Parts: sequence; C-alpha cells; structure tokens
Amino acid sequence: MKRLAVPLTAALAAIGMTVSLWLIFVNAPLQWGKNSNDTLNMSSLFFNQKIFYFHVAHAFMLFASVFVAGTCSIAFLKTRNARWDDIACAAVNVAVLFGAVVLVTGSIWAKPAWGTWWNWEPRLTMSLLLWLILVGYTLVRQFAGASADRVAAGMAIFGMVGVPFIYKMVGSDSHPASGANGVVATLGPGMKGAFWLSVVSFMCWFIALVVFRVQSIRAARELRELREAALDAGVLE
Amino acid sequence: MKKSLVTLLVVLSGSIVLADGSGSGSGSAAGSGSGSATVTPVAEPAVPTPTPAAAKDLRKTCTAAMNADPTFAAAIVKTADETSAIKRDQDIIDAHQRAAAKVAENERHVILAYAAMWILSIIFVIVLWRKQGGLNAEIATLRRDLEAALATEKSEKAKS
Repeated sequence: MKRLAVPLTAALAAIGMTVSLWLIFVNAPLQWGKNSNDTLNMSSLFFNQKIFYFHVAHAFMLFASVFVAGTCSIAFLKTRNARWDDIACAAVNVAVLFGAVVLVTGSIWAKPAWGTWWNWEPRLTMSLLLWLILVGYTLVRQFAGASADRVAAGMAIFGMVGVPFIYKMVGSDSHPASGANGVVATLGPGMKGAFWLSVVSFMCWFIALVVFRVQSIRAARELRELREAALDAGVLE
Repeated sequence: MKKSLVTLLVVLSGSIVLADGSGSGSGSAAGSGSGSATVTPVAEPAVPTPTPAAAKDLRKTCTAAMNADPTFAAAIVKTADETSAIKRDQDIIDAHQRAAAKVAENERHVILAYAAMWILSIIFVIVLWRKQGGLNAEIATLRRDLEAALATEKSEKAKS
C-alpha cells in the first residue's frame, strides 16, 4: 500500500487536473459584470479569472502544508521521533513549491487586474514573508549542522502561526476577500465545480509530493546509516 | 356680354401693364448687369429681425404647419431614432472591441501563469526524482559492498 501511495495519488491528481482544465476552459463562463446603466463593466476580470482556479487551490495547499509542517514539528519537539521531522521537512519542501506558484501566478494575475505586478499590500507582503520563512527552513536544514532539525522545527511552528493572519487579512488591501463573503462563496454556476475539483486535484498532488519527499528523506537517512555501518566494516574509508 | 368682355380685357391689360412695370424694374437691373463687362453683386435684401412677438407668431405658424403634416413629424422622429441607433451601435462595437482587446491581453497572462505553474512543478518533480534515483543507487551499491564485506569476513572467520 505504501508503495502504491505515490502513483495512486499522482494518477488521481492527473485525472482531476485534466477534468478541471476542461471545466475551467470549456464549461466555466467568463467572469464579467454590468454597470448600473447596463453597459459592460470594463473592470471585469474576463479571461484573467481563469488563473483564480489554480492560484487559490495552490494557496489552500500552501496553508495545508504549513499546518502539516507546524503540527508535525510540534510532535517532533515533544517526542523527538524523527518520523515526525521527516513529514515536517517534506511538507515544507512542498510548501516552498506551492508558495512559489502562488506568488508567481498571483503576480501575473495582478498585472491585468491591478495594472501592476506587485504592490506591497499586507496580504501579499505576509505571503512573501511566509514563503521566505519556508525557504529559511530549507536552508537551515541544509546548512545548520547538528541542531538543524530543532531550529527548523521552531521555524515551521513560527510559519504556521502566521497563516491565519494571511487568511484573515482583509480590509484595506486590494486583494479579493476570502471567507464567507469572499470570492469563493460568490462563484457563479459552472465555476464552483471547476474550482472545487481543482482544489481536490491539487490536494492529491500535494499528498503525492509529500509522500514522495518523505520517501526521499528516509532514503537519505538510510544512506547515512549505511555509510556509518560501511565505515565500521571498513568498506568505506 | 360685350360689356363683360371689355371689362375682362381692361383687367387683363391692367395686370399685364402692372406686371411689365415690376418686371422692367428687375429687368433693368439684370439687363445692365448682363450687358456690362463686370458683374456687380446685388445686395440681398436685409432680413428683418423678428420681434419677440413676431417670433412667437412665426413659431406658432411653423408648429401648426408641422402638425398639419403628420408625415413631417414622423420623419423627424425617424431621423432622430436612426442617429441615436447608429451612435448606440457604435458604442456597443467600441465596448466589445475594448473587451476583446482585454480578453486577448488576459489570454497572454493566463498562458503565462499556467506555464509558470507547470514549469515550477516539473522542475520540482525532476529534482526530487533525480535525487531519489541517486540515493537509491548509492544505497544499493553500499548494501552490496557491505554484504560482500560481511560475507568475506564470515568466510575468513570460518577458515580460521
């Protein structure tokens, strides 16, 4: 079953993504609105709204992976069981990927929507900071030496604490709102199905990547142990 | 009968004389104009500015004349409708052209965003795959070497 986890979730993600792409580009209507005098509202997103379906899905998975990393780091600090640390490290690695996609696609979306690639509004700035914390985690794991796992676990918890602030940070910023009155809640017919299928597909993709990365981290640990055994046996010098 | 004929002739001749008199007036001016080498422009008679009361009367007369002819009012409405319809159509065409330009521009951004997403994901998967492959190969080599070393050790122990 463990061996099948990655191919199975990856296959599910591939099927889901294919269907969601069809739903996004063929089935879901263009987003546009009318002014009070019945003329076309030119500030409508039109085709640009198609970015939303996977930009937001990636943001959800970014938050999910940061929560997984934070929770597993707490468990690791409490139990000192390396298995928790493996999962936390894998989740952060995947979160770096999802965070990069969120920032890049959001920036591309912002250009036609706001007329600028980037503005330093609170939510964007916080998202960038979260991503930098995750990159910092990866660098600490790579270069901090013996106590790297514990320092990195602290960073993962710190990152997790920031997520609710990003999610709830609405008001003065120009980023579309989230929550009950947010964009997702107001999606029209034909859009909701495409969006939620996209979220489920990226969730499968996220699971596949995390499991694959965990296997890779465990293989690296096994290699370290084998090297030590080989040194003891005189196979390696 | 004779009397009436005479009266008719008198009236006719009188009217002819009168007509001739007025015609000679204009005719002399025209004649002198056509006869000479240079054309002297004739000053148009000045249009008297109507007084407000006269203007009101004129407007009334004009309105009455327009109302008297139902096709005239309909023609005015039709012309106004056609003009506004042309303007409305042009506005719609302009709005659609702007929207089409915007949609086309957004198409480029959507393609860019999708490309960025897939490129980042594919790079990540390739890096992980290569890393995993390298680790697995190294683990297999080390295991083989260790087993060989252990086997040699065992055989040496058995010999001794």
